[in-house]
Amino acid sequence: MTRAFNRRLLFAGIVFVLVATVLPLWLSAYVLGVLTTAYYFGVFSMSWDLLFGFAGEVNFGPTFLIGLGAYTAALLDNAYHPPVVICIAAGALAALVGGVLLALPALRLRGPYFGLVTLVAVLLLQNAIVIFARFTGGEIGMTVPDVLSVDPKLNYCYALAFFVVSAILLYGLSRSAVGLILQASGQDAVEAQALGFNVTKHKLAAFSVSALFSGVAGAMLVFYMGAASVGTIIDIGIGVQIIIGAVLGGRRTILGPAIGAIFLVVGTELLRPLGQLNTFVIAGIALAVILFFPDGLLGHVLRPRENT
Amino acid sequence: MNALEARGLVKRYGGLVAVNDIGFDLHDGEILGLIGPNGSGKSTVMKLVMGIERPDAGSVKLDGVETVGWPSYRIARAGVGIVFQHSRPLHRQTVLENIKLALLPDSLLRLTATAGVDDRAREIADSVGLGDVLHRHPATLPFADLRRMEMAKAIARDPKVVLIDEPFAGLTGGEVETFSELIRALRAQGHAVLLVDHNVKSVAALADRVLAMYLGQQVSEGTVDEVMRNETVRRVYLGGTLEASQRNGAAAETRPSLLRVEDVSVFYGKAQALEHVDLHVNEGEFVSVVGLNGAGKTTLFNAISGLVPYAGTVAFGDHALAGRTPAAIARDGIVQCPESRQLFGDMTVRENLDLGGQHLPAEARAEQLAWLFELFPILESRQGQVARTLSGGEQQMLAIARALMMRPKLLILDEPTLGLAPVILEQLSNALERLRASTPITVLLGEQNVTFALPHADRVYLLEHARVVWEGEPAKFAAVMGEGYL
Amino acid sequence: MTTLQILVDGFAISSLYALAAVGFTLIFGVSGVLNLAHGGIMLVAALVGWWVAGETPLGTYGGTLVGILAGLLTAYLTYFLVVRPIQRSKAIAQEEKEIFVLTGTLLWGIMIQTGMAYVFSDNPVTMRPLIPGVIAVMGVRTPINEVMIAVLCWVIIGLLWVLINRTPAGKQMLAASINPRGLTLLGFELSQIYFRVWTIYGVLAGVAGVLLASFLGVGTANAGQLTASAFSIVVLGGLGSVSGSLIAAYVVGYLETLTAYLIAPTLRPIPALILLVLVVYLRPQGLLGRR
Repeated sequence: MTRAFNRRLLFAGIVFVLVATVLPLWLSAYVLGVLTTAYYFGVFSMSWDLLFGFAGEVNFGPTFLIGLGAYTAALLDNAYHPPVVICIAAGALAALVGGVLLALPALRLRGPYFGLVTLVAVLLLQNAIVIFARFTGGEIGMTVPDVLSVDPKLNYCYALAFFVVSAILLYGLSRSAVGLILQASGQDAVEAQALGFNVTKHKLAAFSVSALFSGVAGAMLVFYMGAASVGTIIDIGIGVQIIIGAVLGGRRTILGPAIGAIFLVVGTELLRPLGQLNTFVIAGIALAVILFFPDGLLGHVLRPRENT
Repeated sequence: MNALEARGLVKRYGGLVAVNDIGFDLHDGEILGLIGPNGSGKSTVMKLVMGIERPDAGSVKLDGVETVGWPSYRIARAGVGIVFQHSRPLHRQTVLENIKLALLPDSLLRLTATAGVDDRAREIADSVGLGDVLHRHPATLPFADLRRMEMAKAIARDPKVVLIDEPFAGLTGGEVETFSELIRALRAQGHAVLLVDHNVKSVAALADRVLAMYLGQQVSEGTVDEVMRNETVRRVYLGGTLEASQRNGAAAETRPSLLRVEDVSVFYGKAQALEHVDLHVNEGEFVSVVGLNGAGKTTLFNAISGLVPYAGTVAFGDHALAGRTPAAIARDGIVQCPESRQLFGDMTVRENLDLGGQHLPAEARAEQLAWLFELFPILESRQGQVARTLSGGEQQMLAIARALMMRPKLLILDEPTLGLAPVILEQLSNALERLRASTPITVLLGEQNVTFALPHADRVYLLEHARVVWEGEPAKFAAVMGEGYL
Repeated sequence: MTTLQILVDGFAISSLYALAAVGFTLIFGVSGVLNLAHGGIMLVAALVGWWVAGETPLGTYGGTLVGILAGLLTAYLTYFLVVRPIQRSKAIAQEEKEIFVLTGTLLWGIMIQTGMAYVFSDNPVTMRPLIPGVIAVMGVRTPINEVMIAVLCWVIIGLLWVLINRTPAGKQMLAASINPRGLTLLGFELSQIYFRVWTIYGVLAGVAGVLLASFLGVGTANAGQLTASAFSIVVLGGLGSVSGSLIAAYVVGYLETLTAYLIAPTLRPIPALILLVLVVYLRPQGLLGRR
């Protein structure tokens, strides 16, 4: 039964990639731009789900990791103009180091306190950027001299490729032996320890992986947009959107959050004619999903339904 | 050769000494039963051995190597496995995958299981009798199979020492036998097994030796027979020699019925906690429900109080209680004084009592309070003290007094003697006797301490494995059940 | 003069923080709910109060009253539309309720914030002071309104103290925060008690919102920050501890005022955040928290 399902999933994935790859032939630069952003948010939500859905830790500050990656890349690019790839790698490294430094003490905390610390980390980063406005541009933000590409189609392809690779890696990880241990650690840490697993080690690893993907995605987003600002990258509202995307799509499924995040970005764009009300409607839809389908969209479809 | 050697274990939680100087040896191929009533500290001992909690003093040696201070994953890898009573399996994975989990190396780099793991998992599943349900999800399994799965996980790494918490909780008669066979098989393979259970009876047929605990301390150690004959153990479980006095028993039968429980069944998830229980209480009667921990007494009372969903009928006077909220049932006159007491720990004795009396008009409340202070004089002198700081006996009296502040028509007392020293039992017993003599109150008492339960009772029910197995007068209970009960 | 200025200004701000945080900690203590729509509820009270005061003949006092009522109504909506359905849902596992309540109230707060921005625009508004004029406090020229706010906050906190510690209904709430099961066994409906607590909370948040509007001014963009400051005060003081929250409100209020006066106004929130991180790492139960 599990295996049959996997084949269906593989098929759906191939169809998605094929359709997504040929989309640039028809769609306007504007629509491609929306989808490009959506793919990056898909990666953000998947990274978050690895931490919450599997390791059981609520990270209210995904934008702390994203922001570290984005701003490190942007600052480096402005200062020394190395190749973009180097900037992105540096961003990933910064997010990884920052994530580990945050997680090491924070993982000792329980319940809402872990979430709280991650939330405060975002606020502190936000303030630090404002304080060092001389380098970071403060609230207004900073531009980067280099971009991934000026061609929207190419940008779209970069984002899609990164999204697909991330999805395969993160989904694969979640289904691997390590993913199984991680899930057990998140569900019942005491029992996982009694089975011989060093729960802290596995959770820290999950945090690192989550940080790594968030950092790369954050840095790439900056080089796509050509600018980094608190409002578009670090603001708590962005973090909330990532979390909502994950919950909407279905926690513990990795692919669900990706779908949820893309749905959110595209939905917000579709509702743009509503003006200020679009966020209102999106939040309303997400709230309704939480109340009526707490397992999320994909989670609802995948819930084990077996007859005894 | 001793597989496990524990010496002088001590564990304190704040002021409470949960485990006080406990030590034992466990050999390869031996089953040791660690028994004691709820709150005696036996589960804490198990956690100390597993490294889930760190002892304040003492040593645990596994194959001669000190393990105190090790994190529990290290102790697990060194050769200790544990079967938890409650566990949360991975619900999205199949039984086979759940067992495979336990076989995985603790490595971040091994993304796929090694080749042999699959076969090994199947082998283990077969050995505990899960061979037919390998590809089902845990949520669809019957309760006994979930316990098998936990067992499979615990023995997957072939540990030297296996700890099993409440091995038979929630299992039916036939399943108990199968599980006993599984545990014997472990012994035959040379594993050292530590069974933690709240009563001697269920591990009697299985254990080679038994260690009995009470209030954190060891009360007896030896063979099953020795421990069961031990005076202190008998007093802890039965309260000493059986005696029964009967009061107006004949008259009670003719009084109008107050509470009727008909064909009531309760499930916790998949475990059946009550099976078709019938019981009735007449006005002014004092009825005792006796049975060991885990027999279903608390579940029965919680069903009557509307705290757990049930199948069947509970009627109070002339109306059924189904659909009423627990609070409405309490206001209706069925007041429960639970095993866990549920006091407001950070409030004073007086505040606790006043809350119980809030439904009464001021005058009646003052009257009731004065009467209760007569019944429990100690509470009057402790009025301003914070409930949390009272001794166990005083807390129990406060809990009973608080329930009585509601002027109940039916008072349900669940295990009032739990964890209390013998001296306190006598005070409590006297207070109940005065209560019975001076008021027309109807009482439903749940107890495992038969000596405490019988003298007051007009009628007795015996609950065993979720079913009522005997009903009658206390005098007959002593004669019929006397020896076989423990 | 600066020292006195800091003392006086810090006191007024801290009193307002205390009032806002007390309600937040009360619903957490009694019903275990961390309400992330808190800032949104204050926002509704402030904006509705401002609008009624300025656009209708009811005037400033009428506006204040209507604003508080609007806050109360929003609190009820939060409880009945978001919190209670999640608490009662059978589809959500018990151990996940907390995160669902957090996410649900967060979304609801965003809905309030964007809804309000749509109706009233996102410009910050300031209500006319309830009492105009200026007096000297310890030699510092202070608006009477600011003095009145500090006094009013403390009167309300005092009333709340009396309500909780001296009335039967208050005792029930206190008992519910210690042991809800015990209260059920004594025949009290928890649903009624929760309703009462949300009523008190709604009034407190409403008053705090309106007063804030007449003191510092409020805009829809502030909603998140208002929630965050209440949350950090409550965590600093110890989740569920009312007296801890009061002390923490003053610690945060004075820290912020000190930073603003002595270092730079832009750094205002930072020391409090750093203190919060330190407290969470070193003493997670907060200054006065139990356990």
